[in-house]
Amino acid sequence: MENQSFTLPKKLINVAIGMVIIGLISLAYGYFGGLGGERIAANLLMNNVYFLGIALIGLFFVAVHAIAESGWQVSVQRIGEAMSAFIPVAGVLMALLFILGGMHALYEWTHADHMDAILLKKAAYLNIPFFSIRFAVYFAGWIVLAHLIRKTSAKLDLNGEIFYFNRLRMLSALFIVFYAVTSVTSSWDWLMSIDAHWFSTLYGWYIFSGMLVSGVAVLIIILFILKRMGLMTHVNDEHVHDLGKYLFGFSIFWAYLWFSQYMLIWYANIPEETVYFYTRINQFGTIFYLNLVLNLVVPLLLLMTRNSKRMFLVLLPVAIVVFIGHWIDLYQIVMPGAVGEEAGIGLLEIGLTIGYAGLFLLVVFRSLSKHPLVPKNHPLYKESLEYHTNY
Amino acid sequence: MNKYITAYYNDEEDLLKGIKQLKSKGIDVADVMTPFPVHGLDKALGFRRSRLTRVAFIGGAIGGLTGFLFQAWVFTKAYPLNFGGKPFFAVPSFIPVTFEMTVLFAAFSMVIAFFIRSNIGPGAKTIIHDERSTDDRFLLVVDIQEDEEVKQVEKALAEAGALGIQFKA
Amino acid sequence: MYVSPIREPLIKGNKDYSQVTKDILAPMAGTPSKYWYMGMTIAGAAALFGAWASFMTVFYGIGTWGTNKTIGWAWDITNFVWWVGIGHAGTFISAILLLFRQKWRTSINRSAEAMTLIAIACAGFFPLIHMGRLLLGFFIFPYPNTRALWVNFNSPLLWDVFAISTYFAVSLVFWYVGLIPDIGTVRDKAKDKIRKAIYGFLSFGWTGSAKHWSRHETISLILAGLAAPLVLSVHTIVSFDFATSVIPGWHTTIFPPYFVSGAIFSGFAMVLTLLIVTRKALHLEDYITVNHVESMNKIIILTGSIVGIAYLTEFFMAWYSGVEYETYAFFNRAFGPYAWAYWIMMTCNVITPQLFWFKKIRTNLVATFIISIFVNIGMWFERFVIVVTSLHRDYLPSSWTMYKPTIVEVGLYVGTLGLFFTLFLLFIRVFPVIAIAEIKSVLKSSGEHQKHADHE
Repeated sequence: MENQSFTLPKKLINVAIGMVIIGLISLAYGYFGGLGGERIAANLLMNNVYFLGIALIGLFFVAVHAIAESGWQVSVQRIGEAMSAFIPVAGVLMALLFILGGMHALYEWTHADHMDAILLKKAAYLNIPFFSIRFAVYFAGWIVLAHLIRKTSAKLDLNGEIFYFNRLRMLSALFIVFYAVTSVTSSWDWLMSIDAHWFSTLYGWYIFSGMLVSGVAVLIIILFILKRMGLMTHVNDEHVHDLGKYLFGFSIFWAYLWFSQYMLIWYANIPEETVYFYTRINQFGTIFYLNLVLNLVVPLLLLMTRNSKRMFLVLLPVAIVVFIGHWIDLYQIVMPGAVGEEAGIGLLEIGLTIGYAGLFLLVVFRSLSKHPLVPKNHPLYKESLEYHTNY
Repeated sequence: MNKYITAYYNDEEDLLKGIKQLKSKGIDVADVMTPFPVHGLDKALGFRRSRLTRVAFIGGAIGGLTGFLFQAWVFTKAYPLNFGGKPFFAVPSFIPVTFEMTVLFAAFSMVIAFFIRSNIGPGAKTIIHDERSTDDRFLLVVDIQEDEEVKQVEKALAEAGALGIQFKA
Repeated sequence: MYVSPIREPLIKGNKDYSQVTKDILAPMAGTPSKYWYMGMTIAGAAALFGAWASFMTVFYGIGTWGTNKTIGWAWDITNFVWWVGIGHAGTFISAILLLFRQKWRTSINRSAEAMTLIAIACAGFFPLIHMGRLLLGFFIFPYPNTRALWVNFNSPLLWDVFAISTYFAVSLVFWYVGLIPDIGTVRDKAKDKIRKAIYGFLSFGWTGSAKHWSRHETISLILAGLAAPLVLSVHTIVSFDFATSVIPGWHTTIFPPYFVSGAIFSGFAMVLTLLIVTRKALHLEDYITVNHVESMNKIIILTGSIVGIAYLTEFFMAWYSGVEYETYAFFNRAFGPYAWAYWIMMTCNVITPQLFWFKKIRTNLVATFIISIFVNIGMWFERFVIVVTSLHRDYLPSSWTMYKPTIVEVGLYVGTLGLFFTLFLLFIRVFPVIAIAEIKSVLKSSGEHQKHADHE
């Protein structure tokens, strides 16, 4: 089988650039149309966190399978690696957002003039210098490890030396340990501190599980695009089936964490905790329930049978629905605290997301075109080709 | 009692090859007994995908609905009681029991259906042709039709590499 | 099915199918060894101690325990949660690892599942005994009665009833369905008539027919799919017992996944404790290899680290929340009168498993055995810390108190340990400890002899 290297098709570049332009136009519309700095900042933050999370899941996907020594995913490993190429881009955009005044617009605790007793107690953690240091540490770690993992994987592909295979496992273990801590703390920093008074211990894992589902959904979508381009011919129904199982299983896992958090807060009924759900149910009622329908009911019912997990005809629409669903989940996480009642889904929200998606596609496909799509010399590649799944 | 022939193989790959050969000669393999599930045997014998999964789905749906509706009935109709200021129709509280009932019914309905469908169960009497078919032998059973020559089938089996060919009536 | 040559063989030695049967059935034949009798005597004595303690509890009442008006929950619930947690490894191994196609589970799933069932039985003993009136235990089920009352579906304790009984029932079915083909093998290998009749009855008339195997594979996978979320749900619901309350140190949203992770952690530790001894005693080293132990140790690092992150998250959030009661509860855990229990928990659960990052340690059986014991102890203390330290300092300083177990409570705990080992020792005599058919199905692709053939 050939290596399936490919040059970026012009059409794809044009579409992606077009999407980025749509994003820029909607941003300009938001700015000059007077939608308010808070809403613009919240939108930028939300999309940034979303696509960064997806990029990190790409890397997580590669790392977790490397240390579990599983075989099947080797066939789609390149997609995960390419997704992680977006991490530095997200870092730059996010740094710009925070530097250009986004921080003040988003986070109540940055306003030194109206701190209350509770926020003062948290000031040892929630303060601008420490926040910035953490920001730098997260991105430094992620970017360096992503780079090393991609580089090692490329070297492994040259001749399949077991040395690089072991090194890949070691780097993966390092990344997972680092990510296990930083995925939690970064979600506190960027998302939970929007509602600075509120707290929930499960929060970090809840955010992670949502990213996990949307990461797998995006992986499926990218795989579909590549297949449409006539590439990735070595990926057969069995691999698609496994990705479908992931989408199905992780959606249920996400719902499990959602329920755990909601149920415990609902049951104990302590005001400082229920305030979070109170605003979301009363001001964002439709979104709140839509979140559950798109992210649990749809994948649960549509992906239950074996055939639907194997057919792009069903799997792709579900992946898109789940992708939108988790965007909506993030919307109801960010907006009530950051924007409040003026929040809404309009041209700014949709256009900006399209812009980010275009940028993401551009970066990921550029990275994909740099390496052969078939990791032919991976020690487990042959295993990946010759296996069958039941159910 | 119908007439049949048993024969065995020592290796699952020979078995699969043998079945293919017999099929090409138009000999129908009635049953195969193996010590473990042989990969590819389903296909060789032309089995359809089992429908037990549907039983599980229906069982689970019945279990889940029963669980949920029963709790709702108890709390809103049969004996509404105020527990800690919670609403009578307390959906989050009903989820755990609903879930457990779904799993319980799905699992049990499917396993019971499996036993009934396969005609096995506590103390079921089945014919064991060869005691080593649960150890290391891959046993074939070929039914003899009225018009078939026993000798011919035996010859075909021998050609297909089967061992220990025995005619039973 | 192709398996990459870089993978270690899962079954050592140059074996054929009949050798596999012989090796695995060997421990069931003949008279038990003297070590078996020794183990049985010790376990039986412990169980008798437990019987005495149960008698004391039922005859004199809960007053024989060390619980008091502030600390109303102590050893019984600690032991209950500990046992339920141990009961998580078996179904995790056979369900979740099956779904993730981890082939190494074939050597350990049977015994781990048996251990699960026994552990759940031990766990169930505690809620029953604490009712005092054992005969009225059936009150926990919703059934039509003359008082026209139903059970309280709002109570996490009732959810527990459903969760644990469903878990036990489904695990039992899962285990038995997997066992049927192997019981068929035992039946066909049995020499004497009585044995043949008994195993014939238990084998449900299994013949190994291709159609049956095909269905068997289907239902095993679906059962795994059902059991996987079930495993998560059980300890989740156990954690709800605490987390739905408003007690600082109990009410925290991370409890469900953190309890599940802790349960798998302790379950694997117990599997290791048992199997490291069992493989040696029953001469099954070729089937349960160092490779298997290493894989389990990796799961120990993973779940142990998740538990560690959860501890730190809880601690951080207690401070971050700004709620002074939360902050105090955690400060008191680490530096109060029960600090020793807290630090035992931290050392055993968070620090010792990290030693498994070194390949030398995680492939060393003695070290693994010792660490597994540490984890068992640590996980017991985790529950003790959660239960007792959160309760012992009430909102009113006048009701602050300490808790000390009585000999009766010790007896109940030791009794369940005795019961556990008694039943496990019986299990290894009565049923094959390794899934024979599953081993045979991976023998060709993952056996040592085949691996060499591939290389040549």
